[in-house]
Amino acid sequence: MNLAHTGRLPDPSGGSERPGPVPGGQAPAMERPPPGETGARAWLRYNLFSSGFNAGLTVVLVLVFGWVAAIVVSWAVFEANWGVILKNWRVILWGLYPRQEIWRPTASLLLVFLLTVLTWLVGRRPGMRRLRTPILVGWVLSPLVIGLLLRGFELPTLRTIGNNLGYYLFRPDLLSTVNALWRGPTALFLVAAVASTTRVVDDRPSVRRLAVAPVILIGLLNLPSVVRVTEAVPTALAVLLAAVAGWLVGRSIGRLLSWTEHGRHIVNWLWLLALVTCVFVLTSFPVGRPEFDPVQILTSVQPSLWSGILLTLILATVTAVLSFPLGVLLALGRASRLPVIRASCVALIEVVRGVPLITILFMAQVMLPMFLPMNLSIDRVLRAIAGMTIFTAAYLAEVVRGGLQAVPREQVEAARALGLSELLVTFLVVLPQALRLVIPAIMGQLVSMFKDTTLVAIIGLLELLGILSSITKQREFLGTVREVYLLAAAFYFVVCYAMSVASRRAEVRLGVGTR
Amino acid sequence: MSPIERIDTGDDIIVCEDVKKWFGEFQALRGVSLRIRRGEVLVIIGPSGSGKSTFIRTINRLEEHQAGRIVVDGIELSHDVRNISAIRSEIGMVFQQFNLFPHLTVTQNLTLAPIWVRRWPQPKAEAKAMELLERVGIPEQAHKYPGQLSGGQQQRVAIARALAMEPRIMLFDEPTSALDPEMIKEVLDVMQELAHTGITMVVVTHEMGFARQVADRICFFDFGLLVEEGTPEHFFTQPSHERTKLFLSQILHQ
Repeated sequence: MNLAHTGRLPDPSGGSERPGPVPGGQAPAMERPPPGETGARAWLRYNLFSSGFNAGLTVVLVLVFGWVAAIVVSWAVFEANWGVILKNWRVILWGLYPRQEIWRPTASLLLVFLLTVLTWLVGRRPGMRRLRTPILVGWVLSPLVIGLLLRGFELPTLRTIGNNLGYYLFRPDLLSTVNALWRGPTALFLVAAVASTTRVVDDRPSVRRLAVAPVILIGLLNLPSVVRVTEAVPTALAVLLAAVAGWLVGRSIGRLLSWTEHGRHIVNWLWLLALVTCVFVLTSFPVGRPEFDPVQILTSVQPSLWSGILLTLILATVTAVLSFPLGVLLALGRASRLPVIRASCVALIEVVRGVPLITILFMAQVMLPMFLPMNLSIDRVLRAIAGMTIFTAAYLAEVVRGGLQAVPREQVEAARALGLSELLVTFLVVLPQALRLVIPAIMGQLVSMFKDTTLVAIIGLLELLGILSSITKQREFLGTVREVYLLAAAFYFVVCYAMSVASRRAEVRLGVGTR
Repeated sequence: MSPIERIDTGDDIIVCEDVKKWFGEFQALRGVSLRIRRGEVLVIIGPSGSGKSTFIRTINRLEEHQAGRIVVDGIELSHDVRNISAIRSEIGMVFQQFNLFPHLTVTQNLTLAPIWVRRWPQPKAEAKAMELLERVGIPEQAHKYPGQLSGGQQQRVAIARALAMEPRIMLFDEPTSALDPEMIKEVLDVMQELAHTGITMVVVTHEMGFARQVADRICFFDFGLLVEEGTPEHFFTQPSHERTKLFLSQILHQ
């Protein structure tokens, strides 16, 4: 007897396939639609001339569009002075960036282009999935790389590094003027002795490994003096000797201690004693005053010279790359159960969203330096990027929050039931689904951020729009405002449209398997 | 860091003593005491709102019990996060609405927890996933997304996902209630096969036939209380409690 499926039909297919048409059943053949119901004529009839009113509207609109197009085309062909763009294209593209260094912005743009293409390819080809992590790392590092490329950088020599480290750690100017070469080796001797005692007394592998760390550290701290002092070889020998002697002494102490039961306990006190002594001994480490003799790798180009399309793209790319993770973190913080984190995230988001971008840009120029140390000044481009990043991040956070709330609670429960920790639940299950839901809105924010880069003209940066309006003031091109602004409109439209197409593609691709 | 404290509960893998749970003012569990033996198949039935789902959700701490105690495999459910995660990785759970992760393929659904929680290398986790998919009869769906599968297939993937962590206990929360009628049997077949492997199973269901054929013991819940328990034989032929008789007469004469 089978009570199992009271009131249920038995499953004829064996239950492994989706229910489809009954096998063997022949569907009757379909008829063709009547003539005139498909094709171009039907489309025209249904969409443009479905009623007298609609037909009239169609004709009027065609006439209006035709008239506008005729005016624009005749102006563009017969009147416009396109020389303003042809002669100035370098300035429009690279702004005031020095001619001989143009390869640097070109390389930065190529880098962004390469990353974009790779990202796009990875989405299309499953075989390239392995490249996902390197590409992500590339995006994360891109602001830094672009910044270094454009700005130029210099590297301190190893000797300078050691010198400065020694100076700032041990402040020789505060202590005796006695040439105290004995201090470094002495400290090393002490630490090595206690470390080797520990290794004799204690057999726990983690402790044994940990004990070596201070020895290595103090050994490294001896390096500057070895490099610095004129008699390098004897100094190095002294250091080495100190280490070996300390090690041997430590071993005999360890053997002695193994006679008592409190060996480990005593070792703890020995460590304390040795480290305190080390601090006293080392604080007059004899190294010279700090000096800085850097090696110039790329010549410095001040950000005030970054301008044109270059500046527009830098602002947009760097802001996008920085604001996205910040926005996600803010959204997660806003959803946090910890009241302090939640409150501060809400406060930040609401304050930033309640203030116009221009105000934030001005405040970034004026107020950011207040929070930084006196000797550290950041330039105007960086300040503008900081302002735009925080502004975009606040809006992105609200978008992402919407996505987080749309992920069903059951997803969290299922992930928890599998034993995933709260962090893994968020980053493996909730966040990917939330982000996928809000791709169009995120892209919308990024598009509006891209257009908002024009606002930096107000704080005196010459991005595309700024450069273009200064071009129109050249004597031979006075009054070419139309040409120039048409170019600006075309540029912004092309980029924004490309972004929204990309967003739609991504949405379709990631939409696979949505419920 | 002290190791997790283990309590000896003998042959019982789950021990619940006087478990109580409130949702605001409403008391969902009014003191449930139940011991489940290793390898036992326990079926819980009862009218909706009787607290049976809430009860099995307290066993892996999807709901927190506010009084009484629960010991799973010698580990007491406390506020200690380590205890909770240790217990959760011992227990697999299957939900009414499947709750597969829609952004991951079937294989990724199955390997997610083994890779991130058990720290298995990916090839090992994938081999295990394939083995389980064959066991539930849908190896050919491995690279599809959950949204491309039928309800019955999704629920079988959900069972495989829970089994991928090699749990000692499986909880089923009305696993066939959201399925179209013609897909119920394929899921019940998988569960029946699973019951023969000696894993401990706690099943909340309305499928009386399954309860009768597979269960070692049946519990009847009503008003947040364990009203009656016994073998299927006893339960369907001579229930002792009035509420049980009423419920059975209602459900069997549909």
